[in-house]
Amino acid sequence: MKKIDQVYEALEKLEKKFNRGISAYEISQLLNINRANVSRYLNHLYVEGRINKIEGRPVLFNTKDDQQKIENITPLTQTLESSINKITLQQQSLQVPIQQAKAAILYPPRGLHTLILGETGVGKSLFAELMYQLAIESKVIEIEAPFIRFNCADYADNPQLVMAQIFGVKKGAYTGADKDKDGLLKRADGGILFLDEIHRLSPQGQEMLFTYIDTGAFRPLGETEKAISVKVQIIAATTEDPQSCLLNTFTRRIPMLITLPALRDKSLTERYYLIEYFIKKESKRIGKSIYVNKNSLISLLLYDCPSNIGQLGSDIQLACAKAFVNYKSKREDYILISQSDLPQHVKKGMMRINELREEVDQLFKQKGDILRFNHKEDALPNIKGENFDNEDFYDAIEKKLQTLKDSGIDAEEINQIINIDIESHFQKYLGNLHEDIRIQEISKIVDVEVLEIVENILQLAEDTLKRKYDKKIYYGLALHIHGFIERIKKGVKIYHPKLNLIRVEYPDEFLVAMEAVKMIDKRFHIQTPLDEIGYLTLFFTANPLDLEGEEKSKVGVLVIMHGNTTASSMVEVCNTLIGAQHAVSLDMPLSMKPLDMYELAKKQVIQLDRGRGVLLLVDMGSLTNFGDLIYEETGIIVKTIDMVSTALLIDACRKAVLGRDIDEIYGSFRNRNSFTNDINKRLKKNFRNIIITACFTGEGASERLKGIIEERLPKSDEIEIIPLNILNRKEFVSSINEFKENHKVLAIVSTVDIHVSDIPFISAEDIIVGEGLKDLEDIIKKEEDFIKIGKSLKIHLNEVNGEKIIDEIRITIMDIEKKLNINIKEEALIGIILHISFLVDKLKGGGKETLFIDLDAYKDQFYREMILIKGAFKPIEDKYHITIGENELAYICKMMISNNIEA
Amino acid sequence: MKKIMLVCSAGMSTSLLVTKMNNAAVKKGISAEIFAVSETDAKKHFDNIDVVLLGPQVRYLLNKIEKLLAEKKIPVAVIESINYGTMNGEAVLDQALRLLE
Repeated sequence: MKKIDQVYEALEKLEKKFNRGISAYEISQLLNINRANVSRYLNHLYVEGRINKIEGRPVLFNTKDDQQKIENITPLTQTLESSINKITLQQQSLQVPIQQAKAAILYPPRGLHTLILGETGVGKSLFAELMYQLAIESKVIEIEAPFIRFNCADYADNPQLVMAQIFGVKKGAYTGADKDKDGLLKRADGGILFLDEIHRLSPQGQEMLFTYIDTGAFRPLGETEKAISVKVQIIAATTEDPQSCLLNTFTRRIPMLITLPALRDKSLTERYYLIEYFIKKESKRIGKSIYVNKNSLISLLLYDCPSNIGQLGSDIQLACAKAFVNYKSKREDYILISQSDLPQHVKKGMMRINELREEVDQLFKQKGDILRFNHKEDALPNIKGENFDNEDFYDAIEKKLQTLKDSGIDAEEINQIINIDIESHFQKYLGNLHEDIRIQEISKIVDVEVLEIVENILQLAEDTLKRKYDKKIYYGLALHIHGFIERIKKGVKIYHPKLNLIRVEYPDEFLVAMEAVKMIDKRFHIQTPLDEIGYLTLFFTANPLDLEGEEKSKVGVLVIMHGNTTASSMVEVCNTLIGAQHAVSLDMPLSMKPLDMYELAKKQVIQLDRGRGVLLLVDMGSLTNFGDLIYEETGIIVKTIDMVSTALLIDACRKAVLGRDIDEIYGSFRNRNSFTNDINKRLKKNFRNIIITACFTGEGASERLKGIIEERLPKSDEIEIIPLNILNRKEFVSSINEFKENHKVLAIVSTVDIHVSDIPFISAEDIIVGEGLKDLEDIIKKEEDFIKIGKSLKIHLNEVNGEKIIDEIRITIMDIEKKLNINIKEEALIGIILHISFLVDKLKGGGKETLFIDLDAYKDQFYREMILIKGAFKPIEDKYHITIGENELAYICKMMISNNIEA
Repeated sequence: MKKIMLVCSAGMSTSLLVTKMNNAAVKKGISAEIFAVSETDAKKHFDNIDVVLLGPQVRYLLNKIEKLLAEKKIPVAVIESINYGTMNGEAVLDQALRLLE
């Protein structure tokens, strides 16, 4: 036998044994010949077209065996069921197809022949493989049952050959048919034959296939006598329109039709999961985390991708490859995909952001600007993209609540999140109703009794509150009351997280709601829970005129710049890109007097304020002081950001349009470069803890507040309460800032919220009648705990001052939380602080690093995070003249990330 | 003789706590073997302990270790933050003993 044939045989043998592609090295080992020679033979065979080459490292080969290959099926795991569940969970649009697939496989006795329809690249082959695995899993076919794939387009110019492939040939059937040859149908006996591009099968071939489908038997070409009976489930696939006459015959003969959706018909959430899947696949290949900046992800989410999932996958692969090259060639610290790594047509996706901004924002809520993908990390549970539309909204809230609770978020935060949801849901709920629900339709769903009581309730509300409600409220209320009566009867709980807030904010409506509940209870003999009143109140607050069009109030954005058109052109760009006329500009020609400008600005601020404040973006000079002056004069909260760039304006405006709070928006910029300086400054200070009580109405109230707090809270030597009586807001803010220099201001208790960011505010009213004292107590308790710990550390640490280091570490951790966009669980914090303080003490005393097991693997996964943490520790390293090594950083990083609330 | 295992991430702060717990045990006249291990070494000792306490910074291990030890009925808990923070050996020892009751 020639060498080259030996190589071919060896390849066949190894392939059968391992059921995968084989490398030249493996063959050389088996045959004991030089690897280079084997390579040469293999390449020769490849050129001859006898074998396939699989690019990669190492290059692998497999035998072609006349184009048909028994496909490499990924080894079966017992988690197929769970992975199918995961697929359906992530790919809502596949729910029906997967149900159909299950039915097709399980239908007795041996499943239904199936036709899969769908555009190029939607994953028809993959789906067929999935069905095969499902069949094995459900023991419909043997574990070793064959799955054979054949593409009918492969020999499209020779229909005879196609048929020969599928049905086999008897010796002498045609010239060149010199021996009997089995067809794929025979070889697939007991298993599944997947025929791709079935529309390319000739009419004659189709007839033969139908004969098999009808009778379970077929005749090879040239065979006239005995028909062969086999048990094969046919799965066919095509990209053709099922309405075409060609497919008509198929759809009549093949009982199960499964249509796979095109990528553009999938929701963004589904597409996000696909992207995640593909990036993680690359991450696995590279063995490192892949970081992706948010804009690139948005482009991937939105670009036009006509060849569907297949194309999405290869575009992502290309981007990953580019990023990888950059990482290698430019010696970057980690692999980061940014816009420039994307193919041109993908970049264009970003242009569609305006159409889909809301959905996209929803998807990226709570995610940072750079996202990490690692094959070892599982997808987070999807709590963001949830759709409330078709659900009973109590259930939706409860479900959300549970998810949030499970992920360890504390009650306070849950309430905030849920509250936002309720509001937006409520708007949608009423907004969607519109006029298309007519009274007859309502009465089909809702009992007449309920309708009657709704009329009575609305009458009462109109009389009491002196306002008119339109029909929409009537319908909405009817549906709502119907819903909650059902719910109460079933004994399901009703929960409103912000009951108290609603009571305070809408006292009149709340009273009406209480009356309404009385009426309902009497009529239906139920006991409506208190929380329900909160929901009802919202109905009465709804101003019918506001429902349509009018949005929730937003923070105003005003841009003032020197120059004739600087501000206006910046604002134009911003508003165009945001897709909302939100930002407003004032140009300040150099000839203009600041005072005149001030008056204009003030007027504009008054006009823009919707009760949530106005963000003032300016370039320089006197403009930077306008904000405080206007605040003082008008009482409108104005926050000023200077040295504004277009990018910054767009970001601020986007946040405002999203309805973010002014403090939040302002805070996100204030920290842009001053934070580290801030830490350095704060590291040098020695703090005393204080609580400030304040009033603006005159002498005395702040003293009284101080008295109340001292009287009712346990005494503490560590915390001082300082009353401030200041009539002027600006002065107050500046004196707070003075206090901040040498003190740690734990809280401000006041009759009015003065909006000092990063100091908790507790209203005087809450102190007297509400939960305020409890809140204050919590704040103090936490602080006292830290003081106690500091004292204990002082005894136990040898090299550093425990009381000081604890504050420094706390500040550092806060910084890290910001940089990594994480939120460390309160309960874990003390442990982490302690770990770090002992670490600093050890290093300072000349101790050695503790080794971190598998440091390299950990770095592959979290290198970016480690670098950021390292940066945050710089002030501490400098102060104590220590260096925190990679092993120790890895420990710290792990603690932080594992204790993240979202993890 | 009660065997108490403390787990923390790198075994840095816990060793001091162990000393303090031992002192507390001597004072109380309780015979106990108390030792600290790092996260990675914890598993090696599963066959030879009565109770496991986790440092607050590795509280994320709680579920995992609970599951692993459920069959052996060995109790697992996270050390109270404040007791950990103040290195209060006595209180932590009490917590361990309560778990063993």
